[in-house]
Amino acid sequence: MRASAIAVAADEHRRDERPLPPDADFGDATPGKIGMWIFLLSDATMFAGLLLAYGVLRGGSEVWRPPGQPELGINFTAGLTFLLICSSVTMVLGYVALTEGDRRTSVRLLLLTALGGILFLCGQYHEYFGIWHPGLSEQGLGFGSSAYASTFYVTTGFHGAHVLSGVVLLLLTALAVGRGKADVHDVEAVGLFWHFVDLVWILVFTLIYLIPE
Amino acid sequence: MRHARHESRKQYWVIWLYLLFLTLAEVGAANISSLSRIWVVSALLLLAVVKAALVGLFYMHLAHETNVLKWTVVIPMASPVLYAFVLIAEARWRLL
Repeated sequence: MRASAIAVAADEHRRDERPLPPDADFGDATPGKIGMWIFLLSDATMFAGLLLAYGVLRGGSEVWRPPGQPELGINFTAGLTFLLICSSVTMVLGYVALTEGDRRTSVRLLLLTALGGILFLCGQYHEYFGIWHPGLSEQGLGFGSSAYASTFYVTTGFHGAHVLSGVVLLLLTALAVGRGKADVHDVEAVGLFWHFVDLVWILVFTLIYLIPE
Repeated sequence: MRHARHESRKQYWVIWLYLLFLTLAEVGAANISSLSRIWVVSALLLLAVVKAALVGLFYMHLAHETNVLKWTVVIPMASPVLYAFVLIAEARWRLL
């Protein structure tokens, strides 16, 4: 009896689409948006831990890249960075389209964003294992062979797992928007996650790839 | 309202151009061999912070949020920089 009363209350709550009154501290940010920000901050501490470990190991070593291990390719990765930046702009345009009530354009832009993520993952696979030329793992950069190799694979792999999660989230959201089951707030929350993945990559690209020896 | 959204669309493309330009600047800075390492590293870190700030402020809409939400995000995001500075300096000091 009590359980069904809770189910009815929860159902009514979901149907209640009246906007919340502006909060004194958080303005008109929805609880969903604040929840996503809290999640992103906890996720950021995980990336901070990995990047700190990398910084301490690199800072405390006389020679960071052991002789015989390959350098990381900057130009190819700059292309991947550009891909993520492009996918961030399609994400935010998809959000704007939905605020204008244009579901069809919003779905297309969300799918285009997911495609950017899929291409990024293909690029990362190529970088690790090689598709059209030998990958880093075939050039002597084996996981566990040095701190240089391990911090590279752990940090970029953890980021890649985020890109994969983002792609799944984007595809599910595009489906929900197409069916009319997701609103602008849902798309904004997914957008926050996607832009966060882009933001973290900006830092990973600089710290892991660009800082010279 | 439609005009405002048109403006925001234009702003998103302008930010995209800035991000593209800054990425090219990063690749250029990483390849400069005539500058000393400290200057190259400082320039790269500055460029990365500017890019991350552009994404956070405009694509993640932090620029339009209340000050409480802005600080709620910025303080935890920025504090690892302090730990990094202390821990990396300590690791380097032990090498001396």
